[in-house]
Amino acid sequence: MGCGVSKSNQFHKNAGKAIKSAVLIQRWYRQFVARKEMRRRYTWHIFQSIEYSGEQAQIKLYNFLGYLMDNFTPASNERNLISHIFRDNEVCRDAEWERYFCYKNIEVPDLYSGPHLTFPLTVEQAVGLVEAFRNKKQLHSRYVLQLLLETWKQLRLLPNINRISTCHSKEITICGDLHGQLEDLLLIFYKNDMPSLEKPYLFNGDFVDRGKDSIEILIILFSFLLVYPSEVYLNRGNHEDHIVNLRYGFTKEVLSKYRLHGKRILKLLQKIFSWLPLATVIDQKVLVIHGGISNTTDLSVLARVDRHNYNSALRPPKKRHQREAEESIDSDEEAGSTNKVLQRRPSLTSPRTLTRNCFQNRSLQDFSDRLKANTVEEVEVHEGLPGPFGPENDTSQSCESISSEDEWKQILDLLWSDPMAQDGCVPNEVRGGGCYWGPDVTEDFLNRHNLQLIIRSHECKQEGYEFCHNRKVLTLFSASNYYDVGSNRGAYVKLGPDLVPYLVQYQASSMIRELSVRQSAGRSERSANKVLREQLFAHKSDLICAFKKLDSENKGRVSLANWASAVESVMHLGLPWRIMRSQLVTGRSADSSIDNSIDYYEWFNELAIKGANADHIDQSLLETLYRHRSTLETIFRIVDTDNSGFITMEDFRQTWKLLSVYLKMEITEDAISDLAVTIDSNQDGSIDIEEFMEAFRLTDKKSRLERGRSMFMGTATDLTKLEGDPHI
Amino acid sequence: MAPKKDVKAPAAVKKAEPAKAAAAPAPAPEPAPAPAAPAAVDLTAVKIEFAADVIDDYRESFGLFDRVGDSKVAYIQIADIMRALGQNPTNKEVAKMLGNPTPEDMTSKRVEFEGFLPMMQTVVNNPNKAVYEDYVEGLRVFDKEGNGTVMGAELRIVLSTLGEKMTEIEIDALMTGQEDENGCVNYEAFVKHIMSV
Repeated sequence: MGCGVSKSNQFHKNAGKAIKSAVLIQRWYRQFVARKEMRRRYTWHIFQSIEYSGEQAQIKLYNFLGYLMDNFTPASNERNLISHIFRDNEVCRDAEWERYFCYKNIEVPDLYSGPHLTFPLTVEQAVGLVEAFRNKKQLHSRYVLQLLLETWKQLRLLPNINRISTCHSKEITICGDLHGQLEDLLLIFYKNDMPSLEKPYLFNGDFVDRGKDSIEILIILFSFLLVYPSEVYLNRGNHEDHIVNLRYGFTKEVLSKYRLHGKRILKLLQKIFSWLPLATVIDQKVLVIHGGISNTTDLSVLARVDRHNYNSALRPPKKRHQREAEESIDSDEEAGSTNKVLQRRPSLTSPRTLTRNCFQNRSLQDFSDRLKANTVEEVEVHEGLPGPFGPENDTSQSCESISSEDEWKQILDLLWSDPMAQDGCVPNEVRGGGCYWGPDVTEDFLNRHNLQLIIRSHECKQEGYEFCHNRKVLTLFSASNYYDVGSNRGAYVKLGPDLVPYLVQYQASSMIRELSVRQSAGRSERSANKVLREQLFAHKSDLICAFKKLDSENKGRVSLANWASAVESVMHLGLPWRIMRSQLVTGRSADSSIDNSIDYYEWFNELAIKGANADHIDQSLLETLYRHRSTLETIFRIVDTDNSGFITMEDFRQTWKLLSVYLKMEITEDAISDLAVTIDSNQDGSIDIEEFMEAFRLTDKKSRLERGRSMFMGTATDLTKLEGDPHI
Repeated sequence: MAPKKDVKAPAAVKKAEPAKAAAAPAPAPEPAPAPAAPAAVDLTAVKIEFAADVIDDYRESFGLFDRVGDSKVAYIQIADIMRALGQNPTNKEVAKMLGNPTPEDMTSKRVEFEGFLPMMQTVVNNPNKAVYEDYVEGLRVFDKEGNGTVMGAELRIVLSTLGEKMTEIEIDALMTGQEDENGCVNYEAFVKHIMSV
């Protein structure tokens, strides 16, 4: 600092002035930073609220469908449409699975330019796969299936809780959520080298969904798992779950990349996900899990569960003897026959009146309580039917007879929970599964199990990581730019024998560095605002209703305070509406707010989604479509049982019936016909799902948030071209 | 996002705070003639003159900075909240209002919204509004050749050693894209830039 001192001596005469001007600039800068920080916070809130409410919506949808399953007659069309997602893939005999995995009939054409694999896999091949994917190659389905078979065999050997040690001065590298973002994985390998005997790795779940290269990430992780079984560890995340995948893009990605064999690949992955270990303990001191814990989490219980019975963590398990009475994986086509077991009342011939409350359970715990009642009845029904194992008690239960409900809750909590600042443990109603747990629960848990640190993921953090609970809990997130370019960094942690976490951050985009202070601030914000404005527009009817209530004199205006409270009462996003009004209320509706009141009809004109080519469609129906587009698409995907991307007109109508019940809305036959006509342009009686979503501008290629849309997805014409492609 | 009033307030990552903790409590003595041991401000005597709407705005912003969920913010966040709300106090002024707390107090003590309002009123009553000319005048001090530019390097040194010192990271962020190939900053353009953000 010698130089600096002499320089400031030069200004001795102007010392006072110099300092004053320095303070001026510093003050300005700090004000700028503070305002930027505030905008960053609420931008983050926007993304996160929408993300979590999407998860909640998925769980609600799933609950709803489950309710339908219990209440519709076995033969009803509605039930058949959806029953297949509830059917368990049961491993009856290894031979069946080997046959199902059968890749031997699949030929790899000469024209295929991607990597070829031979088993047992070698290091060179694993490294070769990384290179191939970096060069945008795709692995042929034959090799994918073969790889999955080997992976499945390997995973079955693993315990529920991996136990590893950092002996021989080996540091283990732990990575958090990757969510299909291949660029981040490549960056990690670049900075930290690939897995090897000297470089053990642990991947903490959520490898798939949202990003566009989920399957490639899985292939890489599984390959290294096979090559280095003692150095590479995988924990299951809440997105390693086929129900969640239906909404968040993984299912779509696989089906579009693998037109011919995608369905089979997905089915196998269901099994593989259920065989992923649930947790890892390092040196008996550090617990690594995807979500978190609750006040009832017990590692000894978790060590004993049959984890592979939980295909989806969202679904409470059926009792074992019921499952084995069901048919094997072969007869997918016989939709109706197996479901007798689930039938509660043989005499039921029509669906009961569904009340909104039934399936809008806020948490899965509620759902499970209702289900407890159901399962008891189911057992009674089953007792009358002849089954291969008879009605005696399940011998596979442990002698402490932990109920399957408790087991299920243990797993759910492990995969879905989030930490909170306050003491205690409450259900996680924002996401709809797991709980929020406090520092006291952490303390208690660590003491009980003689541990010193919990490392978990599941939540996006701006710096890629965050400590909480007195540094006893570390959240680790490895998908950078998750919400938008520039939204956050990713991080991984290195743990040596001293068990002191050493964190490394990164951000996978060279664009970021060149953005000036001003530009990077604006970008995420604009993106978030756009998403939010769409959401607001989609709730137009409810909002107008709320405004009218506060506009007693019917002037078409509401005060700012009323506007903010009305908006929150409809949207339930917990956002600072007043602060954001300058971004949300623009154009003429802003100009006219003289006394800080807002002309709400004008506001909706400003918000309107431009250019929807659906003028003849009823406006409120359009709004419904828009608001629930994610749910709608999910239902379409469920109904599309052969995963072709097309559904029949009849199924299309059935879907709308389902949706109208779910939303408690009247959708007339005419309205549905109008929709169908708009879409089925070649009048062949089938509807292209993608085209449908595109037609109503329900998709926006730039908004990854709701759908995790794959960049590989083409338009309808592209897809038909791929149809005959033998190379995939 | 769980509603604030609820038990849980999901934590947004605080990026500014740790940096501030290092840079902000600069109760380090300045080379400038600063008034010694300023008297504490009497907040109870301050009359709140804000309009109801404005108070609601402030309340919302205040809530945004509450990361614990107890409807309070830490002392160390007060300056930032005021800046986020358009005011421009120096760290010293804020420290004075808080009764010159120790660095420990800054992170551990918390204040609720009702306690914050009189502080905000005090600052609003003593505005530090600077205009374009003030900034340009301030920078002209360093324009040795009188040609409308200052050396970026000098500016960096000044900002990091004088006044309420900035960290290297903060300075880097500020200066991105401002220096030309000779390392000079055209200060009128610079001020226009910072005032337009």
